[in-house]
Amino acid sequence: MTRIFAQLRLGLVYGALSLAAFVSIFPFFWMLVGTTNTANDIIKGKVTFGSALFDNIANLFAQVDMLQVFWNSAFLAIVGTILTLAISSLAGYAFEMFPSKTRERVFAVLLLTLSIPFAAIMVPLFVMMAKLTLINTFTAILLPSIASVFIIFYFRQATKAFPHELRDAAKIDGLKEWQIFLYIYLPVMRSTYAAAIIIVFMANWNNYLWPLIVLQTNDNKTLTLVVSSLASSYYPDYGVVMVATVLATLPTIIVFFLLQRRFVEGLTGSVK
Amino acid sequence: MTGLKLRGVRKSYDAVEVIKGVDLDIAPGEFVVFVGPSGCGKSTLLRMIAGLEEISGGDLFIGDKRMNDVDPAQRGIAMVFQSYALYPHMTVRENMGFALRFAKKPKDEIAQAVNEAARILELGPLLDRRPKDLSGGQRQRVAIGRAIVRHPDVFLFDEPLSNLDAELRVHMRIEVARLHKELATTIIYVTHDQVEAMTLADKIVVMRAGVVEQVGSPLALYDDPDNLFVAGFIGSPKMNFLAGVVEQDTVRLPEFGNQSIPLGHLTHPPAQGSEVTVGIRPESFKRGGDAGLELTIEIVEHLGNESFAYARQSGGQMLTLATENGRSLQPGQRIAARFNAAQIMVFDKSGQRIR
Repeated sequence: MTRIFAQLRLGLVYGALSLAAFVSIFPFFWMLVGTTNTANDIIKGKVTFGSALFDNIANLFAQVDMLQVFWNSAFLAIVGTILTLAISSLAGYAFEMFPSKTRERVFAVLLLTLSIPFAAIMVPLFVMMAKLTLINTFTAILLPSIASVFIIFYFRQATKAFPHELRDAAKIDGLKEWQIFLYIYLPVMRSTYAAAIIIVFMANWNNYLWPLIVLQTNDNKTLTLVVSSLASSYYPDYGVVMVATVLATLPTIIVFFLLQRRFVEGLTGSVK
Repeated sequence: MTGLKLRGVRKSYDAVEVIKGVDLDIAPGEFVVFVGPSGCGKSTLLRMIAGLEEISGGDLFIGDKRMNDVDPAQRGIAMVFQSYALYPHMTVRENMGFALRFAKKPKDEIAQAVNEAARILELGPLLDRRPKDLSGGQRQRVAIGRAIVRHPDVFLFDEPLSNLDAELRVHMRIEVARLHKELATTIIYVTHDQVEAMTLADKIVVMRAGVVEQVGSPLALYDDPDNLFVAGFIGSPKMNFLAGVVEQDTVRLPEFGNQSIPLGHLTHPPAQGSEVTVGIRPESFKRGGDAGLELTIEIVEHLGNESFAYARQSGGQMLTLATENGRSLQPGQRIAARFNAAQIMVFDKSGQRIR
């Protein structure tokens, strides 16, 4: 009797897991299938591969300057990631390495800002950018995100595991603070950086709301904006939308798989 | 070879003073060990000498130069850390040559220095490995090698053997002693292990709560401690302390059934009736002598070459007795523990030695 119950339990567990896996994977499968079907087929719910792939690609490239859009997204994601990591990891390092009386208070205030939704600061931020005459520039996209409180917090926590004696040893070896950061901290914490690269790159690549408000001409638009505008047109061509979606998804998947091992190390503690 | 001078060296964190005015002279080539319990300030003092902690007051001279505000790298020191502090992303060779590479020394000079240090420490086969592929002892040798290649005037060791197992610790202790002989450089060594201090040091500095309690050679501290703290800290097992009252030429011991022991030959004997503490080392009981205490054994530990008996008299304070012929001792046995009255030490109420 107990054996039957155990098997039943196992069956239920596998059933639930299979359902969860299906729910997770099906959108990706449908996205891929959709690239090969016409808009009509997709609306009808066709889930088998069709023959419209090249037509969809041609239509997409006819409607949108994809190279420019791709470049815009890539530029913002790469430059944004580099700047965010540089500023936020320096801040995280400093918060952990330099004790001061006010350190914890300042840090607590920073953490509090995490509870403020972006929508609440969107309008003042827009006004600020307008006054700085930065509307419709990439600088306006990059500036608000390069000091990321979450990434500062992440680096501070990771830095707690960085052996302070390494810093002392480096000082005795003649390194200045910035050299310790560059030659010792950075290589030792590379897994932490890898995980942060994935998190920040994905956030930048998928950034939608702020670019939607700030970028106002077509030659500045990013891929997420283009996918969104394709999908929300009067007669959306879902085949074309699916091709654009696949292109929008590819870079994050590539970055993730390239840094996958380090990402896991970075989340489980990079200093051994 | 370079010596050091510390004059009224202080360290404060806000209102809390952790080093309370240290005066110390270290001769060129001397092996000096800082010992003391956890939190006594010995590592802080070492880090102040290294330049890793600011000096709040007083003067530090390395050689003849005042070093208070000089960068660590310019002080002519090298430091070996408890956790080794090897750069994990570099090979042994890169770790050892890093400081020289950073000082922009020529490549062949770096290679020569690294190979020389590797020869001294027998690290040759390990040069291309990374720290994670080395055992604890090997890592510590690399850390020492990294210090050697810089040809420092002063070596600083911060509890370097604490992370090693007992056997390796003994081995590395001998290595450090051999190294001092070979390099003939001034060494300052911090440890809480008094066996390390006794075996390695030319001079021991005993610290407590940011204050130097006594400075002297290992045997001078063992034979002639200035106060209760040093007497208790130096020597293993710890010295027995017995509370007593001075009566004529003897000390009456209330916790030992009011037995009396001779006061010994003191130049300045304490006043009659004054309360004192009598110190008797466990090993004083090995050789017998002209004084004795009636005790009952409670526990016996046999180590092979000697035995330790823990004994007391009817619920009183427990004493440790070291014996060479103690294999026949049994718990519950009553003994007359004999010792030489000339070997006892007497301390006044404030813990200062009465001589």
